[in-house]
Amino acid sequence: MTYRNQNYMKNSKTILTVALAALAILALACTSNTGDDIPEIERKTHSLNKAIMCPVCPGESIDQSQNPLAVSMRSIVAEKLTDGWTGDQIKDFFVERYGPSVLLEPPREGISLAAWVLPPMAVVVAIFAVFIGLRWMRRTTAIPSAVTSENTVLTLDEQESYFRRIEAALDLDDTPDGPSLPS
Amino acid sequence: MIVESGQLALVLALLATGYAVVASVMGVARRSPELVMSGRYGFYSTVILLLVATAALVHAFVTNDFSVRYVAENSSLAMPKAYTWVALYAGNAGSMLFLAIIFSAFALVAVGTIRKRLPYTAPYATAIMAMVLLFLLAVMVFLANPLSRLDVVPLDGQGINPLLVHFGMFIHPPVQMTGLIVVAIPFSIAMGALLAGKGGNDEWVDLGRTWGMIAWLILTLGLLLGSWWAYTILGWGGYWAWDPVENSALMPWLAMTAFVHSIMVQKRRGMFRMWNMVIIIIGFTLAQLGMFINRGGPVPSVHSFAQSAMGWIFLGFMAFTLVASIAVFVSKVDTLKSRGRLESMLSRESAFLAQNIAFLAVAFVTLWGTVFPIFSETASDVTITVGQPFFNLVNGPLLLFIVFLMGIGPLLPWRRATIGGLIRALRIPLAAAGVVGLIFMIVGPRQPVATVAFMTCAMVLAGIGHEWVRGTQSRHRKGENYAKAFMMLLSANRPRYGGYVVHISIIMLAAGAIGSSFYSVQRDLVMSPGDTETIGEYTFTYTGTTHQSHPDREEDYAQFEVYSGDTYLGEMEPFRAVYPDFRIASTRGAIHSTPLEDFYIVPSDFSDGGQAVFRVLINPMVWWMWASGPIMILGTLLALAPRREPSPATLRVPAGMRPAGV
Repeated sequence: MTYRNQNYMKNSKTILTVALAALAILALACTSNTGDDIPEIERKTHSLNKAIMCPVCPGESIDQSQNPLAVSMRSIVAEKLTDGWTGDQIKDFFVERYGPSVLLEPPREGISLAAWVLPPMAVVVAIFAVFIGLRWMRRTTAIPSAVTSENTVLTLDEQESYFRRIEAALDLDDTPDGPSLPS
Repeated sequence: MIVESGQLALVLALLATGYAVVASVMGVARRSPELVMSGRYGFYSTVILLLVATAALVHAFVTNDFSVRYVAENSSLAMPKAYTWVALYAGNAGSMLFLAIIFSAFALVAVGTIRKRLPYTAPYATAIMAMVLLFLLAVMVFLANPLSRLDVVPLDGQGINPLLVHFGMFIHPPVQMTGLIVVAIPFSIAMGALLAGKGGNDEWVDLGRTWGMIAWLILTLGLLLGSWWAYTILGWGGYWAWDPVENSALMPWLAMTAFVHSIMVQKRRGMFRMWNMVIIIIGFTLAQLGMFINRGGPVPSVHSFAQSAMGWIFLGFMAFTLVASIAVFVSKVDTLKSRGRLESMLSRESAFLAQNIAFLAVAFVTLWGTVFPIFSETASDVTITVGQPFFNLVNGPLLLFIVFLMGIGPLLPWRRATIGGLIRALRIPLAAAGVVGLIFMIVGPRQPVATVAFMTCAMVLAGIGHEWVRGTQSRHRKGENYAKAFMMLLSANRPRYGGYVVHISIIMLAAGAIGSSFYSVQRDLVMSPGDTETIGEYTFTYTGTTHQSHPDREEDYAQFEVYSGDTYLGEMEPFRAVYPDFRIASTRGAIHSTPLEDFYIVPSDFSDGGQAVFRVLINPMVWWMWASGPIMILGTLLALAPRREPSPATLRVPAGMRPAGV
């Protein structure tokens, strides 16, 4: 290995160490707040609030909304949880009053099941599409046309490799201490 | 008088645009450059005419001319004059005028650039842009004229929606609307090239890419500004809720992100020619869907600012452009044969394709969730809601996969990669991911999903960093100092390094999203003046409330003294304003923001005696999301910066020097 290569290895190691240290600090920072000091019941309330829609403010959960109805629904959720209701019981309680649209997550049954089934199917189809597409592009032969003539217009990619070769050739002539090939 | 001249200007603009369409098409058919030119000038003239119309509307606002319906509906005597700018696009008719003038200005620049560089494509592209403008103008002139008069002049206007009275509203809606309509420009260029029979000739690619990236950047900024507005004013501590209107702005962004990547494959390798057409058609269709849902579409949303039937007209136009573009595509598809061949299943090309499909999958799933309530209601009469929990669950993994691809794709060479080469290139990125994973396992609260997500981010950053270090060092060895070597590296291949800068900004965005979704701490506290509470490191004392009465609103300000550990952070003053006329309460959080985390207080309810309910949040890393914006702009500009390339015409390949594999 030449001196230059060693130097390069050393430098990149230093930089890598610094980068990793920075990442480590960042990661530590993220983990500093664990939120363990929040009462369990409050955490449950928040996650339920996020799943229940405010019936009079389109598209907003009761967690988000500033509407008086949302405020009172939030307190109902908290109250019922303290009384020992489960999350599902509370959801049912609101569904009875406002219909199934009060839940922000569609139920996993009946017609709403379609909402859940289609996305994973779409992913499978997408994977398939990538595969088929690649196969197809492998098979299709390029248009022969003017490619073989002398007047070919190069794509950037080709220009680059073309110029790289020229540059490499020039490099060999220019460098006073000869070509810097690995010894 | 001024109002009437504005009305006249709108009608004239409509006629000029119609003429531009006809003259451009006829000019090509009759091979008459003069006719094409006159069509172009007709199109240019709309900018001036629309300026006149806009000036007339502004004048009506400034002079409180409530005889103009739009002014009466969107302003009042009490409205500060600065909000005229917001009022201009706050309602339906005004937003149409805004879209029209913005589009005509952008199109003017676009036509100016295409005209010289794509002489065959230009007339078609001009005609298509003119058709889009014609649609906007026809809607204004016949259905929603922003300058129409009322028979009875009210004494005062109805006023502006108070949720719009915020600094963010000065920029977010116009930027968002601009982004959506500017997508029409790359669409027109692509379709114009296709119509001219030049779709397989890659000359349209450079300009198509440039305008695609401009549209992408504006859409990105629109989304970021919208999130920022939601975070600071909607006052629930979040920034994104997968609301239908948010989704409808996200979908075209996803498609355009796919486009700005796949177009590179055509630029570099002469491949993906059909695919690029398909994507830009999808992109423009989704952009129109965005405008449709935003304009009183069928899905309820916080953001649909103007309920009206006009949305359905947008839907009609969308259906028309979709059918027409598919027809053009099908009739010209044989001009789109690929020049290159895919040489290996493992190559940069295949990574781009996977990325494209992944983005479209997210767009599709988002579309599905957004429109599903309509399906369900028509099919079974059951009204349901598809909201945040659904999208988080379904889109989360897909987005993570996209971030993962962002780490792999750029490491793959064009044409052909080997497994061994990929593993070698991935050594350092994977090591970085491993280190981050290890740290989380040792010290972190064990959130497996967040850990994997952060590991993926680390992998991407390490991949980019490694390549920059390597490139800079190899230049340094040729005698450039490190700073110069780095700058030269960036400017040597601008699309590539600009892309990396954008990738870094996306990682910042992702880090903010991951940090705040998985590690956010939220509490709702009832506090009386004098109470002190502690959350995490923050200790805060509620000192009291001041009340202010304004003609249109009642405001309650709450004062807090906030400490982090022993350090005094200062006084924080969140407030809540109630607008009785609109029955709207608007809260503004007080935020102490650091790169590490945001400390966020927002009042949710005030009762007598100064007691109040506050929501207090610690949102880790949100700062990075807003900081990513400027970096994103920088990266995009770098990627767009023109580079002196050898003119293709003079670049002939000597026999024998032709690279193998062509």
